[in-house]
Amino acid sequence: MTTGLALRSVTKRFGGFAALEEVDFVAHGGEVHALLGENGAGKSTLMNVACGIYAPDEGRVEIDGKAVSIAGARDAAARGIGMVHQHFKLVPAFSVLDNILLFNPGRPAAEVGAEAQRLAARIGFDLPLEARAGTLPVAEQQRLEILKVLIGGARIVILDEPTAVLSPEEGTALMGLIRGLADEGAAVILVTHKLHEALHHSDRITVLRQGRTIAETTPEGMNPAELTTLIVGEQIVEEPELSSHVGERVIWLNGVELAGDAGRRGLTGLDFQVRAGEIYGVAGVAGNGQSELAEVLMGLARPTGGTVWMDGENITEAGPAGRRRAGLACIPVDRYRHGLAGRLSVADNYAVNGVLAGRYGGWMWLNRAKARARAREAVEEFDVQGVRGMGQRAALLSGGNAQKLVIAREFEGETRVVLAHSPSRGLDVRAGAAVHARLRAARDAGAAVILISDDLDEILLLSDRIGVLSDGRMAAEFTAPADRAEIGRAMVSHGDD
Amino acid sequence: MATTENLSLRERATKPRPAFRLVPLLEPRQKVGETRRIAVYAASLGLAALLSVLLLAVSGVPPSDLGTEIAATAFSSPRALGSVLAQMAPLVVAGLATAIAFRANFWNIGLEGQMILGAICATAIAIFDIGPEALRLPLMMLAACAGGMGWIAGPAYLRQKLGVSEVITTLLLNYVAFNLLLHLLYGGWKDPVSSFPHSEQYEAVERLPQLGWQTLTWALPFAGILAAALWWILSASRLGYLLDLLSANRDMARAVGVPVAGLSLAAILASGAVAGLTGFVISAGIEGRMTQDFHVGYLFNGVLIAFLGRNHPLGVVIAAFFMAVLVQVGQSLQVFFGTPFSLVRLTQAIFIICVAGSEFFLTYRMNFRSAS
Amino acid sequence: MDFLANWLINIPGFAVPFALAALGLIFSERAGVLNLGAEGFMLGGALAGVGLTLNGAPPLVALGGAMVAGAALGLVFAVLVAGLRINHVISGLALVFLAQALTSYIANENDWANQSFAGLQDLVLGQDIVVWATPLLCLGTVWLLGRTRFGLTLRAVGENPGAADAAGIDVTAMRFAAIAIGAALMGLAGGYLTVAVSKIWVDNVVGGRGWIAIALVIFARWHPWRALAGALLFGCIEALIPRVNAAGWAVPQYYLQMTPYLATLAVMIWSAARGGDRWAQPAALGQHHIREERD
Repeated sequence: MTTGLALRSVTKRFGGFAALEEVDFVAHGGEVHALLGENGAGKSTLMNVACGIYAPDEGRVEIDGKAVSIAGARDAAARGIGMVHQHFKLVPAFSVLDNILLFNPGRPAAEVGAEAQRLAARIGFDLPLEARAGTLPVAEQQRLEILKVLIGGARIVILDEPTAVLSPEEGTALMGLIRGLADEGAAVILVTHKLHEALHHSDRITVLRQGRTIAETTPEGMNPAELTTLIVGEQIVEEPELSSHVGERVIWLNGVELAGDAGRRGLTGLDFQVRAGEIYGVAGVAGNGQSELAEVLMGLARPTGGTVWMDGENITEAGPAGRRRAGLACIPVDRYRHGLAGRLSVADNYAVNGVLAGRYGGWMWLNRAKARARAREAVEEFDVQGVRGMGQRAALLSGGNAQKLVIAREFEGETRVVLAHSPSRGLDVRAGAAVHARLRAARDAGAAVILISDDLDEILLLSDRIGVLSDGRMAAEFTAPADRAEIGRAMVSHGDD
Repeated sequence: MATTENLSLRERATKPRPAFRLVPLLEPRQKVGETRRIAVYAASLGLAALLSVLLLAVSGVPPSDLGTEIAATAFSSPRALGSVLAQMAPLVVAGLATAIAFRANFWNIGLEGQMILGAICATAIAIFDIGPEALRLPLMMLAACAGGMGWIAGPAYLRQKLGVSEVITTLLLNYVAFNLLLHLLYGGWKDPVSSFPHSEQYEAVERLPQLGWQTLTWALPFAGILAAALWWILSASRLGYLLDLLSANRDMARAVGVPVAGLSLAAILASGAVAGLTGFVISAGIEGRMTQDFHVGYLFNGVLIAFLGRNHPLGVVIAAFFMAVLVQVGQSLQVFFGTPFSLVRLTQAIFIICVAGSEFFLTYRMNFRSAS
Repeated sequence: MDFLANWLINIPGFAVPFALAALGLIFSERAGVLNLGAEGFMLGGALAGVGLTLNGAPPLVALGGAMVAGAALGLVFAVLVAGLRINHVISGLALVFLAQALTSYIANENDWANQSFAGLQDLVLGQDIVVWATPLLCLGTVWLLGRTRFGLTLRAVGENPGAADAAGIDVTAMRFAAIAIGAALMGLAGGYLTVAVSKIWVDNVVGGRGWIAIALVIFARWHPWRALAGALLFGCIEALIPRVNAAGWAVPQYYLQMTPYLATLAVMIWSAARGGDRWAQPAALGQHHIREERD
């Protein structure tokens, strides 16, 4: 008899769009099963079906060989299915114990607390039950998530992109933990887009593409290139390509400090420079000061110490408007926070630079026809697809096309410095490659490009030089080609005082 | 082993679940067509009208009489239309004041306080005969703007610098302004002629001139010009575009270099200034003096008109006309049927709730299909 | 001495409506519902109290009716804000408008206005039963929110509705419950105001106390005991107003009437400038919950 979870010929449609079509997926007890696929391939939908958040339109869910119908999150938990979401489902203001209790209703607090301690000790955690969840480091918050699920009695554990927020070392530790769970008989499903996790830490691999099962295989005998081809459906191979011509320094930071506070990391003594015609990669585990550095560069946060220079001018005190006039282009990490206004039209989103520069009329008159025509040209030039009209709301664009629209706007006019913060996050491989090509083109045209990314592969692929941000300071600097392992070690060093 | 459990599990799996769920699953709508928008809006107004008619019927106004009453009070004679239009002028200005603030994502609930301060400042010019007679009216207007702006400046500052919610600060200042008004009208500014608690009558040069048709004064054209000017600024100028950007995504606007703080401050102060002008329009255009209750109900009306008019100047004008008819009808119902004015207020509340509720049907799609 | 005793004995009566309204607001806001309808719920309760009393109901029954009236208006608000997911600010304002019009209309229809009645009598030490019950209600709130699974669930909904949803909690139902409980308490606050304090109905008898209570809750950082302390502070101010002129201090009457509102503003500015505990405000206050539908 099979143990574990089986999804048989599962189809799920949203409106007319089939997110899943006759997908088969089986995870046996005792194994780690990697579920691979691009964004939008249907991984999350499939796991939501497994958790009872969606019921399949067709097909069935089996647990331990028996067909079941799962009525929701509580029911799934009662049947031994536990999900660790990529975005933690924690209440930051609650204590660790309260968070566990919330997910395990109907059991006395003392009993749950004792069991939590027992379980934590068994799998090698040390969790302070009284501490506020929001004050724990990210890796410990994730452990809390896992603990929450295990106390519920989960024998089928789903982890959605669990290493996205962890350092390489923490990631490795997590993989060890997962292996331990499988050895105790649990079926562990590892949803990921990282090939090496699937290849090195799983027993079997299922690949989804466009809502269909493309392959079910074992890691033995697979190599990354073959796996990529399965995931993407074609061969997109991006090769590193170093700069051919590096010029004068364009932007540099001199001992930049930013005071930290609750919820915001400080920056300490940041010194680096970026020259014309090079891509400077800023590597690091997420949450080590990347967002703060981006805000300082964009002019959104004023440094509490040190200076920022651009083309020989001190721009420390300049706001976003002044920096943009001086030739700064920004591709922000969250497109719909700092990049686009989803409620407004494509044309209005594109027009803002031109409007501020007075290209479409003075204060009392705005030539919307002209702005619209200019936007139309740019949309074509930058190959933004899915635009039915310039009046269409920007929120309707797919991630890749929204990013292209941001790039089209930011690269209008002369660009001296490009700040790109995780520019391919959430994009499929093809769209990501297109964004990378734009960054290289900007570099080759003589711009100084700063690439902040917590995806080390992206950094290694694009950068001519690499700085490693750790704990708010530049822990090390490398020149490409750099050694991946060395960078990984620098990422977890905590600065030498 | 465990056959019963197996059975029950199989039963659960095969038993068809109802195809309809009572509590729908909500799905955000990606796009809303223009037809749907209009249909939903019209349906919400229709529902509100229906509920209002029912309410009136219950309290003794037969629906058939209601129809004739509306026709008679609003459109039967030039006199009736004239008095509706006279009612409309301050309502337009009040609606505009509220709409500007709402467009800047600032919940200005302090319209009445700002009106009072506007009227107090204008009245000060009138009482103390400040400035030459030819400039008296423009001076009063400027003073009214300054008064309204001054009264909103505090909440604006607190919101921008300290993050204090403007909803409560603007509202509390209404009570403060009202007590200030009473202090003046029961004190030094009491009408010396009648000793009643209202200001002395404005001189002719301190009042908006008659239009020469019915009882209408320049208050109405003034409101029209203001609406047209704001329409231009909000929909055709750079300011309007930037304000849209600001309200759609403040973080993005800041990141691309829009002077966010200055722009929203300008919009907030403009809202206060127009609110101050509402006080001026009533005092100098209708009453000819500052009374102690000229502001009553305008907060409610302002929010309702801005809301019905979707914060758009032209929409505000239409909604204000509609509201003026409603007020007029309410007054005549009071006379002929003894219907209390609070009933008119109640119908207004119904309209606000129905229109607010309609937003739901534009934002979400309800999925009643069962999960399996 | 006479002045002081007279003042002190009157403080609890003025403080109780603020305290009860603040407790009600805490229920609603801890569940993430920004509640600007306080003035409306209080008006509803106030009118129900008057209506029942004038029709011969004993004061305690009238107060019970006030709670029911508050809760009924609360359900209207819950439909708007938790059901139809209308903007919290607009929902609150609409509710206040509705309650103002509705109470004024009903009072007018039934000729309840300006009829004074005996109302609630004092129990011990010149204080009535509600005064004595208020600290107990506060204790009950602290216990319910802090020590029970119901409270844990309610707070989870206000802190992170997504997490609560993932734990299988019905966020909408929880918010309905929190609003209803809160509105019942605010109805009681309003009922107390008419049945025990004013002993008469006039339109808008609540006179902005609902807004003051909202500010009070921010000042108290959503904590019941601190809200009780804040309510006492405002009780002191309100109890002082009618006694200042009697004590022979010549402060213009209308300036005196401004003081509660100015004091509220001062308190708001002070608590904003102080900043403070970042965990105090419910993290999802004023946010709707919609489960993300697609990946």
